[in-house]
Amino acid sequence: MDESALLENYLIVGALLFGTGLVGFFSRRNMIVMFLSAEMMLQGVSVNLVAWGRYHNDWGGQMLVIFILTVAACEAAIALAVVLTLFHKSGSLDIAIWQRMREENQPAYVDRDVSPDYQPDHQWPKLTPSGIEPKPDLEEITHRAHV
Amino acid sequence: MTPGIPTLLILIPALPLTATIVTAVFGRSALKQNSHRPVVLALLGSFVASLMMLAQVRQESEAKPSQMVGWETSVDLWNWAEVPNALNTPPAAHSASVQGIEHGLPAALPFRIDLTLRADALTSIMLAMVTFISLLVAIYASGYMHGDRGYWRFFSYIGLFVFSMTMLVSASNFVLLYVFWEAVGLCSYLLIGFWYEKPEAAAAGKKAFLVNRIGDFGFALALFLMWTTYGTLNFHDAHGIAGILGQTRLADPELYVGGGVATAICLLLMLGACGKSAQFPLHIWLPDAMEGPTPVSALIHAATMVTAGVYMVTRCTPLFMVSPDAQHVVALVGFVTAAIGGVIAMTQTDLKRVLAYSTISQLGYMFLGLGVATLGGITSGMFHLFTHAFFKALLFLGAGSVMHAMGGVVDMRRFGGLRRLMPTTHWTFLFGCLALAGVIPFAGFWSKDAIIAAVQERAHDEPEFLYLYWGALVVAFLTSVYTFRAFFMTFYGSERVPYEAGPNAHESPTSMTVPLTILAACALVVGAYFERTEGFAEFIKLTPSLAYEVVNSKNVEIVSQSHTLVGAISTLVALTGMGLAAFLYLGDESQVALLTRLLMPLYLLSHGKLFFDQIYNVLFVWPLWTLAQASYWIDRVLIDGLVDLVGRIPPKLAALLRPLQTGMVQFYALAMVWGVVILIFTLLTWPTH
Amino acid sequence: MNDVPIVIGSATLLLAAGMWLMLPRGAAAGRSFGTLLVAISLGLFASQVPRLGNWVNDSVFLILAAVAVLSAVATVTFRNPVYSAIWFGLSLLGTAGLFLFQGAQFLGVATIVVYAGAILVTFLFVLMLAQPEGQAFYDRLSWGARLSALTGALVVGVLTLTVVSVFQGPAVEDRPQSPFSKVALDDGILADQHMANLGAQLFSKNLVAVEVAGTLLLVALVGTVAIVAQIHKPAGGRERSHG
Repeated sequence: MDESALLENYLIVGALLFGTGLVGFFSRRNMIVMFLSAEMMLQGVSVNLVAWGRYHNDWGGQMLVIFILTVAACEAAIALAVVLTLFHKSGSLDIAIWQRMREENQPAYVDRDVSPDYQPDHQWPKLTPSGIEPKPDLEEITHRAHV
Repeated sequence: MTPGIPTLLILIPALPLTATIVTAVFGRSALKQNSHRPVVLALLGSFVASLMMLAQVRQESEAKPSQMVGWETSVDLWNWAEVPNALNTPPAAHSASVQGIEHGLPAALPFRIDLTLRADALTSIMLAMVTFISLLVAIYASGYMHGDRGYWRFFSYIGLFVFSMTMLVSASNFVLLYVFWEAVGLCSYLLIGFWYEKPEAAAAGKKAFLVNRIGDFGFALALFLMWTTYGTLNFHDAHGIAGILGQTRLADPELYVGGGVATAICLLLMLGACGKSAQFPLHIWLPDAMEGPTPVSALIHAATMVTAGVYMVTRCTPLFMVSPDAQHVVALVGFVTAAIGGVIAMTQTDLKRVLAYSTISQLGYMFLGLGVATLGGITSGMFHLFTHAFFKALLFLGAGSVMHAMGGVVDMRRFGGLRRLMPTTHWTFLFGCLALAGVIPFAGFWSKDAIIAAVQERAHDEPEFLYLYWGALVVAFLTSVYTFRAFFMTFYGSERVPYEAGPNAHESPTSMTVPLTILAACALVVGAYFERTEGFAEFIKLTPSLAYEVVNSKNVEIVSQSHTLVGAISTLVALTGMGLAAFLYLGDESQVALLTRLLMPLYLLSHGKLFFDQIYNVLFVWPLWTLAQASYWIDRVLIDGLVDLVGRIPPKLAALLRPLQTGMVQFYALAMVWGVVILIFTLLTWPTH
Repeated sequence: MNDVPIVIGSATLLLAAGMWLMLPRGAAAGRSFGTLLVAISLGLFASQVPRLGNWVNDSVFLILAAVAVLSAVATVTFRNPVYSAIWFGLSLLGTAGLFLFQGAQFLGVATIVVYAGAILVTFLFVLMLAQPEGQAFYDRLSWGARLSALTGALVVGVLTLTVVSVFQGPAVEDRPQSPFSKVALDDGILADQHMANLGAQLFSKNLVAVEVAGTLLLVALVGTVAIVAQIHKPAGGRERSHG
């Protein structure tokens, strides 16, 4: 095989993966998809590293990818924890909700593309609730950690 | 086995310092109302050590080798600072070197300060006096200050003061002297403002500190001038360089620089002494300093610290000897201060202030003695310092005892006839008054008499001193009058007690009356004993500075031996003053009122303290205050405005960037990537050569 | 050779336009047209790089690359995040194949195991947990779709142009050539004992890094627990304490 051509091909595949990840990270509003896109960028980088490692007949590239895997695992754990926390606070995975942390007096970003006659693609069937409704725990409701 | 002089010399300051540290560290948490114990113990140790040192110094001094001028010894502790080749062109006066190596002197002199302590007659007598008075005052204060919130703080200050004062009198270098000169000033400031919640106390502390700054400024200038003139600041000869007050120079008076430089040095030194010893025109801080606790007034502002100026001038006698003009200034300043103090004390109604002005007046006497510049004058000045410490401490402590019983009231118009209520205080106060008025055989008689006699003797050479002689007698009369005025107003007449004293005003506790009794005994005997038995002057003149032959040559005999005439006159004057005071204040008050009306302008002048404060306000305080206000305005409006202007720029700049903070995470990432893209694109297309 | 920048430039623009069309934009249509544009653009990119010199190798590589890149595009453009995640899995498979194709066997397997097996499943799990019923409006909308697509495509274009201009520069002798022969590679990273060599490298030269990575994992674990633990604290109190 032509090693230079191989490297060149891989670099361009890496660039494409990276660029696609970027587009996803910029445009998607769902936090989970944003993180998927970020992982995609990591994939692009990994492809690059492996290709360079082969080109130089060096293990360093693969080593770095192993560490990227490690860091990606850590990142995923923390990211999911943060996403869960944010979801718990806002009830939504929409990243735009958190634009309330913008600088004071700045205009908010408003969705312009929402069509007024928006309908979800699928209407999921609703099940009638059945069984006995559980009683709310009064103590839990009235509990206050701080007074 | 008795420890040697070096050990004692180190021990005397080290003990109070240790006590200070112990009290400061453990006082608040552990010692509390026992805080006086370490300090009193340390002072006792110091006092015993000073007595042992006094005995040894005396022995050594009298057995001194004949070629030595006076007797001194010094202990080098460590080198504090050394700058080699600091002074490049030694003036003529440096050609003095030890052992006559006159031509082998290095071209450049080092600036070298060793932490050196010295022992000689002057130092040892000062040490003994300081530690003794401090010990008694500390014992007294353990009763007087009992229950005060700052009890431990008070005693740690007292320990610090005694440390500084003992270091001051045993330092053998002008820089060290200056350092501890400032340290006692600091202690004075801290103790005047001890009750800092009281605005008057805080203001008085500030005033004392600021007025002292003027004097210390002069002292510092004197130090600079001495360094450039003599190339050293040591008292003693060390490291091949003749000290300013060292054996080499003392043996050869030609080595002292005369003329204008000498006068300048002496006048600047005198300015420093004026600040510390409350002499005209810097005397105004001392009366206000009475805001401090009374034991402090007794220890610092009557017996010890204020005499530092007298000590310093005495120590520098050889310098003053080459400048007759400076001697006259010292004498004149001393006399004027004595007169001012005496006149103002006549009409004050605050018991402590009467005593404060009397202190100023007595310090004036001491300077008058020093200004006479004969051996008799200087030794009598020192002798007056010595005796004055005892009886003035006694008077202040007595006043404190009265205050203690009267619930803090010091206005003599509000109490009276306390002699039955406070018998011990009454008797001891009487002894103090007799000593202050100079009644034979009390301590004050011997020393004051010696000063007046020395002035009279000097008048044989210079007739101008005759005016000072008569003036000094008038002041002695005033002294007697105001002393007994205060005494009669406090202890005689109908018994009156202010309501602050409560229903059962009583004599002070034992811890206070015992020091009073001891001091009263001292006030009685200390003059006669040291004058007649021990020969105070004979001993003190063994100090190198005073053993200087020029001093001795000026005067043929030591004053104390004669002057029956002067003694008789001054006793007569004192008794007349007593009689006048008794006539005025023991009878009804109509005579006082009549006299007041007759001498209304004089009365107003005296009652207004000669309006020094007001004059200084107009001359110095107001202009400076106006200047300060103007500067404040410039700072606030102009400079702060400029700074604010500069400070307004970043927010404006930031406002430009503010729209970027949209809160959308994607936007941030996008901006970052655009940056990278532009960077890479630039790198690729950058024309390379 | 002069038309290389032009081709890459147009490929970039096509990619941008295609991505924009494919991204969720409310009710807007044109997704299939976008797919076509993206495919053309990818073809243009592929046309600008040299082949590997062996039709088997070429076809295997191209298939793997196409799977990886197309699945990636699908990942970011699908409206339903669950589909996105599954497409991402496919993209990972493609990447893993690419790793294997280069002889990085361990990485190929590890990518599948760690990413597809663990991380992706966790993502899916959270997705299921947090996804509201039905499709959320924010999955049907994009933020700055035009700008994002343009930026991403521009990055790809700039990178590709860089790579191509270096490897296919005007002067043939300046083009980089691999200094290692097939034999050297067979003795090096392509040697038979792949795992053994990798392990030896990992635990000799990179031992410190391995330890640090282990610590990092631990810290991440603790951090995750700490963050998640906050969720279950009652709201009110903390915020009030911040005044």
